[in-house]
Amino acid sequence: MRYVVAVKQVPDTMSVRLDENGSLVREGVPAILNPYCESALSHILSMRREGDTVAVVTMGPQKASDALRRCIELGADDAYLLSDRDFAGADTWATARVLAAFIGKYEPDADLYVFGRQAIDGDTGQVPYEVAGLLDVQQFAYTESLTIDGDGFAAVQDYETFARTARVPRGSVVSFGTVEPSGRLPTVAGYRRGKAAEIRVLGRVDLGLGLYSVGLKGSVTKIVGTESVKAARRGMKVEIIDPNKGAEFIMREAEAFR
Amino acid sequence: MFDRQRIRPGSRYLSDESKMTGEAEYVVTPNDVEELKEAMRINHSKGNRITVSGMRTGLCGGCVPHGGYVLSLERMSGVVGIGKDDRGYFVRTLPCTTVRELNRILTTRDFSRIIDVTPGAVEALRNEPTPWFYPVDPTELDGSIGGNIACNSSGPRTYKYGPTRGWVRRLSIVLADGQGMDITRGDVVADGRRLTFPAGRELYSFEVPTYKFNRDVKNAAGPMFEEGMDLVDLFIGSEGIFGIVAEADVYLTPWHPLLSIIAFLPTDKDALDVIKEIKSDGTVDPEFLEYMDCGSIDLVRRLMESDPATIRVPRIPNAAGSAVFLDLADTDGVDQRLDRLIQILGSHGGSEELTWCGREDRDRERMRDMRHSIPMSIFEYVASLKGSMPGIHKMGTDMSVPDSRSDEMMSYYSEKLDEAGLEYVIFGHMGNCHPHVEIILKSMEDFEKANRVYDEFARKAVELGGSPSAEHGIGKIKRHYLAMMYGDEGVAELRRVKDALDPKGMLCPGNILEESQ
Repeated sequence: MRYVVAVKQVPDTMSVRLDENGSLVREGVPAILNPYCESALSHILSMRREGDTVAVVTMGPQKASDALRRCIELGADDAYLLSDRDFAGADTWATARVLAAFIGKYEPDADLYVFGRQAIDGDTGQVPYEVAGLLDVQQFAYTESLTIDGDGFAAVQDYETFARTARVPRGSVVSFGTVEPSGRLPTVAGYRRGKAAEIRVLGRVDLGLGLYSVGLKGSVTKIVGTESVKAARRGMKVEIIDPNKGAEFIMREAEAFR
Repeated sequence: MFDRQRIRPGSRYLSDESKMTGEAEYVVTPNDVEELKEAMRINHSKGNRITVSGMRTGLCGGCVPHGGYVLSLERMSGVVGIGKDDRGYFVRTLPCTTVRELNRILTTRDFSRIIDVTPGAVEALRNEPTPWFYPVDPTELDGSIGGNIACNSSGPRTYKYGPTRGWVRRLSIVLADGQGMDITRGDVVADGRRLTFPAGRELYSFEVPTYKFNRDVKNAAGPMFEEGMDLVDLFIGSEGIFGIVAEADVYLTPWHPLLSIIAFLPTDKDALDVIKEIKSDGTVDPEFLEYMDCGSIDLVRRLMESDPATIRVPRIPNAAGSAVFLDLADTDGVDQRLDRLIQILGSHGGSEELTWCGREDRDRERMRDMRHSIPMSIFEYVASLKGSMPGIHKMGTDMSVPDSRSDEMMSYYSEKLDEAGLEYVIFGHMGNCHPHVEIILKSMEDFEKANRVYDEFARKAVELGGSPSAEHGIGKIKRHYLAMMYGDEGVAELRRVKDALDPKGMLCPGNILEESQ
């Protein structure tokens, strides 16, 4: 089997802070592999059998090759970086067009095209379905788990209020909806593979795309402005799964006001 | 005017991470150094004993009050200034700033509202090609700088950077009677064995104790004294009995990227051998070097099963029976260091596939959390026993010995614990021959047995030329080890210093020294 996993490099939104004027403090904020993408890659790597290969691809600046290196550290085999000045300012549609062009030209026979549900910076969650639309293949959103089933795959999709199991034909787009908290860690072997890896860089001309179908020029949405909204509540968000620990936490916090 | 509130039973001000509990009438929370001085002055004149409290992450009951008032420095937090001298940059920080917050400010260069201590220092640090950071890593990053100074904290990175003492430039101290003073290293040094200094309207003077503070091993057992000592050193590691740290300047060092590595090995012996080889070989040159025995690995496995969301690491390989945890500088020569490490691991049943390697901060944090989950889960477990066994507290060793006696000490631990039939895990700073043995208590009977065994360990550590308290300090729990190390005369000398600075015994009563009646 050949799997192609599309990934994105994002700022680690857990470390992003706003300054007094409401602007992003970028200093010291690491760029990371989007956790949804990483989780999707982990799913694929854990179902990989002897002889299967996994390629990763991203569209972004040269710096995004770090995210691809991370994928190789985790176990991916090949990496493509789609990078071109003309790609700058792309919305989801222009991004999907670049990815679809890449797949059509370089990976047309892969058995599965895999995505994470959304990127944690833009949170749009549209690219997987737009790529499926452009490739004219079926798409399976919110996939929770995936297994090999006969000639294709079986996906369990979790729509929160209900779940369904779907038969996934080869060549489909699958997007994983969850992030595993205890995901993979690279090994030293992986670290060394990542360091030695050669990343293939492809530009607009390589993909056979016109200037007006990529980047800002090829985008159908435009950002006209942003504003920071001040929340009135002073809250804290924590995630505690164990109800006992949750109760303990609340007790501890309540005591702080004594 | 400082804030004062009555303490209710069960309040957080009555305990720390040792899970020891105490009692006190009021908690006083000054907002700044002036309020702190005022609070001390008033309470001193009224004869109220004061126990100083910060983030309460200590492990020896240092901030647990035995009557009197608690003085919580929690509102005195934040970095106020940046300066530069011949040694490099330093930050001026309030006592309750946590190590985590300090390093967050430094790595993100979030310098708004921070002033220049020396001209142009803030801008110069902002423009440095790499950020600078405070390298002492007491494992508990939510501990305060003031607490770190009071205990001369060390932690894993002591292997490379030494303990807190070496990083303190200047202290602003408030004494028991409310007098304040600012002292920079070099300002006041002892004239031979006589240390004399003014503070406010008073002149203090005392004879420097003669007991030998062991500096050959990692050691936090009591305050350090030596001929010609600097006054700054009097307050580092003295657990608040001489004065309160109201502000501190600590030095920084340039940050560099790191690789965190957890190597899994088949047996405890393999891991200990790997550590020994890394130390003697010299090529690998880790920033810290830690050990997790088979009991620790099993504990982590159990924790992951019961609550997978808390420990965010992948499944530990089945073949793992122990682990070595280290950080390597990801700078020039990292490939050679890594090659040599894999060679060493290979000759002891490890491999590059069985070794996790994180270069991103979030991975390194996950690995660190896994290591930290070992003591934390034991703290939580002991806290859960408090209901049925109120007198119980955590029993974890904190003893260091010289390199050459490390094997002997390790055998002694297992022998004595097995003999007593106690369950335990061993992990921690083997790079400094300073593992933590955490005894997993199940009953009060276990607790009593553990206390006996613990005393034997302390005696053995001293006999081997080590320290019974390498980094946690003495506090109230380990007081009796002081005489074991320094003899009754040493304790009497220390008492004389205390009497010279705090004749009424108002400040942190019960820490290090028995309470004076």
